[in-house]
Amino acid sequence: MASKKAAQESLTLSSVLDLNEASVLHGKLTELRGRNLKIDASQVERLGAQCVQIIVAAARAWQADKKAFVVEKSSDAFEKTLQLIGLDPNQLTAKEN
Amino acid sequence: MDMNEIKEIFFQECEEQLAELESGLLKLNDGDRDPETVNAVFRAVHSIKGGAGAFGLDDLVAFAHVFETTLDCVRSNRLEPTQDVLKVMLKSADVLADLTNAARDGGYVDEARSRSLVKELEALANGEVPAPAAKASDPVLAPAAPAPTDDGGFQPIPFSFDSFDEGEAAEDGQTYEISFRPRRELYTKGNEAALLLRDLSRIGEMSINCDAGSLPEFDKMDPEEAYFGWTIQLTTAKSEDDIRAVFEFAEWDCDLEIKAQEASATDDELPMIPVPFDLAALDEGDAASEAAPPANAAASEVVAAAETATSVSKMAAAAARVEKKEAAAASASATAAAQNAAAAAAAGQTIRVDLDRVDRLINLVGELVINQAMLSQSVIENDTTGTSSINMGLEELQQLTREIQDSVMAIRAQPVKPVFQRMSRIVREVADMVGKSIRLVTEGENTEVDKTVIDKLAEPLTHMIRNAVDHGIETPEKREAAGKDPEGTIKLTAKHRSGRIVIELVDDGAGINRERVRQKAIDNDLIAADANLTDEEIDNLIFAPGFSTADKISDISGRGVGMDVVKRSIQALGGRISISSRPGHGSTFTMSLPLTLAVLDGMVVTVAGQTLVVPLTAIVETLQPEASSIHSFGANQRLISIRNSFCPLVDVGRILNFRSSQANPVEGVALLVESEGGGQRALMVDAIQGQRQVVIKSLEANYTHVPGIAAATILGDGRVALILDVDAVVAASRGQSLKPEMSLAATG
Repeated sequence: MASKKAAQESLTLSSVLDLNEASVLHGKLTELRGRNLKIDASQVERLGAQCVQIIVAAARAWQADKKAFVVEKSSDAFEKTLQLIGLDPNQLTAKEN
Repeated sequence: MDMNEIKEIFFQECEEQLAELESGLLKLNDGDRDPETVNAVFRAVHSIKGGAGAFGLDDLVAFAHVFETTLDCVRSNRLEPTQDVLKVMLKSADVLADLTNAARDGGYVDEARSRSLVKELEALANGEVPAPAAKASDPVLAPAAPAPTDDGGFQPIPFSFDSFDEGEAAEDGQTYEISFRPRRELYTKGNEAALLLRDLSRIGEMSINCDAGSLPEFDKMDPEEAYFGWTIQLTTAKSEDDIRAVFEFAEWDCDLEIKAQEASATDDELPMIPVPFDLAALDEGDAASEAAPPANAAASEVVAAAETATSVSKMAAAAARVEKKEAAAASASATAAAQNAAAAAAAGQTIRVDLDRVDRLINLVGELVINQAMLSQSVIENDTTGTSSINMGLEELQQLTREIQDSVMAIRAQPVKPVFQRMSRIVREVADMVGKSIRLVTEGENTEVDKTVIDKLAEPLTHMIRNAVDHGIETPEKREAAGKDPEGTIKLTAKHRSGRIVIELVDDGAGINRERVRQKAIDNDLIAADANLTDEEIDNLIFAPGFSTADKISDISGRGVGMDVVKRSIQALGGRISISSRPGHGSTFTMSLPLTLAVLDGMVVTVAGQTLVVPLTAIVETLQPEASSIHSFGANQRLISIRNSFCPLVDVGRILNFRSSQANPVEGVALLVESEGGGQRALMVDAIQGQRQVVIKSLEANYTHVPGIAAATILGDGRVALILDVDAVVAASRGQSLKPEMSLAATG
């Protein structure tokens, strides 16, 4: 999932991000901590609130680390679910500085 | 236990609930107005809906919800359960059963029928709130759908599921402030906050604020904990109950507060993000993701165990909720509470056991019986005094073995009710197809019989019921012309009679047209044109292979299989079938079947040096023929005179080709047996060894079918003895009328 490329990492999210996937996602993000990260959410077909929690917490952590955290591509389902649960996509972004 | 097993349990429970549902509806149809009957029917549909919701079976949930809404109207006396209403409900029960089967193993569902029933149910529901659980793609009620009731007491109010997609017209709706904070259990029990919010968005216009304040730092968070909470402003025409219904299966696992607001207070207190939803896109996404297997299958496997545990608790919780809800709804009625208590007590007294385990136990007990018989035999052979303590101990052992065997058999015994209920659906459907009005009356449906027998009974019974509806009962016009009730009646009864189960199928139709049957038999070369047959013999011709009196092949019963197939199925079960018919008054089919296919009480006899077992149920009496009572008849037929009547003598050894010439009757014993047609035959055997219970071992499974032999068994001395197929032997001895059985004599 993650490809090494200088300081820029990318992570493609699984198509189903439900309860079963929450710990897996948390684990993957933990491994990528401290590096600039591009998220590809274009494959996401189902997104549960717990995985959203993880992504939001990760965005905050990356912000605190002053590393970039960008959702580069996202599927309709991903965006709609964020809207549905009342989140602004900007809350999932952290800037490198 | 994996997820599939839990699902399987759910489907087993569905079967029970569907049976409850049908029997309740039939009771209502018969004029029963006991509120508890209505409650039981409602409970059945509600339980199916609850379980289906837990497994994400959306089609089933959607249909059950609409059905339940209509039943609720009946429960609250807003809808009179007239015959017409019940007709729709019975059909809905059939569709619910189809949907359950489809969810279980991909069975066929007539979607057009399901859609039209949804419409009818909605019409009946008298404008009750539409289902939040129903899918947006569900059908829309035709504005002018006529309410199929005859009481004229209410007008149907059409409603549309489409409104969910467009967002409710909220001008005259009420605004609610909903505070929803899931707890961890909500997720672990398989619910998903995002889906609940989506359902909520469908019943009105919604703006939402996500409270992420309690979200801890990334490395301190528990990925499976619930941190988010929501405050929602929902403007809807629906009631608070409808909003609560969205959280129906999650209410116990979240903090939920719903407050009705003044319209002016909207939007001021919290910074809301108004969310214009494109629900269609979301639905598509869902559908796609449900169809596609989870990408990370391995991860899913890891969590499967946890999921399993939580699903069980969820199912239990759902069941408990159903009961709670029921109790609340009927709080005024002490009987309902008592019923719940009784149901709970009954539930505590039963366990579900895999059939394989029971079968293994039965096999082992069978072996025990054989072993015990062998032990007895060797003790008898070695103990000449016959009074030793070993001998007495053996007798006790024999008694105990017998009791164990009876108890084990009782485990497999099941009431015939499920099969009978299936028949009522067939009567309904076939009667509808052929435009007849027919009532099925069942009696003795709690009569118990071995499960194997029940399983194998459904097919022949279905065929006979179809025949009765299609050919037996006349059209309403003909019935009226004949001075009969335009509604025909088919009566299905079961009872125990001398160690067998007797199932009777009685119709009040036209009876068998003997002239036509006879002519058909002559045309088909089954009998000679000048054959002199009794009425009974003519009636029995319908069981002859290739016989069909239907002038035109119909979809219903003319499927190329006739009553001969029914007869063969019944015979394969060790049963007999007979018919009696009165022209103008109807026909009666009588089936007599063994209670179990595992053991049989038999008479052990010797024929030409071979040991055979004759089923005891077939034997009327045994006698030692005297030379004076034997009379020759024709070339090689013999008759025995018993109490002033003559009975054909059948030499079993000759029929089975154990010997080439007929034995001398005076040297043997005659077993008087009842044949399927009702007549008696005297079977000649050489000697009677004794009477004992034998364990049936299938000959087909272990060797191959042998004409005239039903099965085999293992005797105490370890030898294999064949169990005689009495009916086949009698038929083979009978002569010319039935060809396949004739070949038995030649090949046997």
